[in-house]
Amino acid sequence: MANVRQISVFLDNKPNQLTGVMKLIKESNINIRALSIADTKDFGILRIIVNDTDKTVDILRKASYAAAVTEIVAISIPDAPGQLSRALDILGSENVNIEYLYAFLGTSDKSVSFVIRVDDNENAASALTKGGIIQLTENDISEM
Amino acid sequence: MERYWNEEIECMSREEMKKLQDERLVKQVKHVYENVKYYRDLMDEKGVKPEDIKGVDDLCKLPFLSKADLREAYPYGLLAKPLSDCVRIQSTSGTTGKRVVAFYTQHDIDLWEDCCARAITAAGGTNEDVCQVCYGYGLFTGGPGLNGGSHKVGCLTLPMSSGNTERQITFMRDLGATILCCTPSYAAYIGETLHDMGYTTDDIKLKAGIFGAEPWTEEMRRSIEASLGIKAYDIYGLTETSGPGVAFECSEQNGMHINEDNFIPEIINPETGEVLPEGEVGELVFTSITKEAFPLLRYRTRDLCVLSREKCSCGRTLIKMTKPMGRSDDMMIIRGVNVFPSQIETVLIEQGYSPNYLIEVDRVNNSDTLDISVEMNPDQLSDKVKDMQDQERALAAAIKTMLGISPKVHLVSPKSITRSEGKAVRVIDKRKLHD
Repeated sequence: MANVRQISVFLDNKPNQLTGVMKLIKESNINIRALSIADTKDFGILRIIVNDTDKTVDILRKASYAAAVTEIVAISIPDAPGQLSRALDILGSENVNIEYLYAFLGTSDKSVSFVIRVDDNENAASALTKGGIIQLTENDISEM
Repeated sequence: MERYWNEEIECMSREEMKKLQDERLVKQVKHVYENVKYYRDLMDEKGVKPEDIKGVDDLCKLPFLSKADLREAYPYGLLAKPLSDCVRIQSTSGTTGKRVVAFYTQHDIDLWEDCCARAITAAGGTNEDVCQVCYGYGLFTGGPGLNGGSHKVGCLTLPMSSGNTERQITFMRDLGATILCCTPSYAAYIGETLHDMGYTTDDIKLKAGIFGAEPWTEEMRRSIEASLGIKAYDIYGLTETSGPGVAFECSEQNGMHINEDNFIPEIINPETGEVLPEGEVGELVFTSITKEAFPLLRYRTRDLCVLSREKCSCGRTLIKMTKPMGRSDDMMIIRGVNVFPSQIETVLIEQGYSPNYLIEVDRVNNSDTLDISVEMNPDQLSDKVKDMQDQERALAAAIKTMLGISPKVHLVSPKSITRSEGKAVRVIDKRKLHD
């Protein structure tokens, strides 16, 4: 199972920081598929999944941003009550620890997609496969 | 093979040097007493006559001069020659108060440039070298001093002054600069820009750097040496005595030799003024024994350091001073503890951060606060907030171990702290604004 690469970008907690990154991305015709921001008093960490990870990292670093790539798990589950709980149960039963997760837009209004950052990608992937949860590849996401 | 600019002086025996200093001091005290009313009044007040000064051993009888005296006597009060004999002034940046203006006769400039030539030679410079001077030119002594020294040595001199860093690198590459002279913070920035432009140390010919005019740490030296592929030498000086070249480092890179044929150093207890024995930490005091126009006797530099006459492997016998532990101007008293920016810088570099930082001191509810903004290390970026906050905490803990007080550390993005092209501004003390 190919994991999905997510880009993290360090942002100062002051006006126009996100705008700066978005402008760069816009100018390079890169499409953002998923996005979340973690904020602290001093700084934020922008997390994005894009349709061209290598190019995006290159552009960001050239513009002096601190950018890092981490592998995450992405799943697609039916848009119905109890579905996220079921997926989390599967991970919990295999003792997979979740650092954070966020939802993003899929292509269908009958399903929801999630990025899940776990401590053990392999273990999580095999648990999800066994539990019948659809996992998205980086290719799936970039073609959404 | 160590090279000297003036071997006779630089390697002179202690006895001969003392004899030279004795003669010059006696002459200088007489010159000052006769020509500088301000200092004559100080001597009279203390009941000291020029005849009482028979040599270096009598130096302690003379009154001190401080920056306050320079301000009071501004602009001509300490001038010892008619203006018709003076050919130039240089001036301090005035960041810590009123400007100091120093006057030079042609003889004074020659001596000063000679001191700088000794420093360039000690860093391996010869007439085969290309010396890029990116200290500020103008009123600041850095540019003119090293420029003059470089001419004396016969280096091809690139009088760049500071700023326009990409152009600095273009000249450095196109003209094959081998020696770089600037402030250490600017050297660090040049190194950073070089790598940002996609070059490595293989693309430049630099072999040595002569960096001074602001305090810097051993860690910063190693970091600059790695980033520019050079040996980095410290140089010391102050406008009040002439400019850079009062003391300079040799191949041993362990303390700076003072040009004591021109400047007699003493270390005193800054509280009592008492002269301290060699090896003790105290305030550095200089007596200029060769300058004509602006000859300060027993000038208190407010720099804290140690003097040593231990034998140096370079063969020079000139007394050595340690890198100043900080100018008392830079020293902050936070919650009753003496804090120097250089201590914080040491921790940052040890922990893998860049030496670009900003210290903000404030007073909230009658208690001092210490906030340090540090550029995060891009190699340490994590997608997890917790990891980043752990980095802040670890750095704060390391700084607390060094200083004894707890700072708040704020990680900021790489290159977001303004780079300095001259002297870096690293401390904002907001407490002063409230007074």
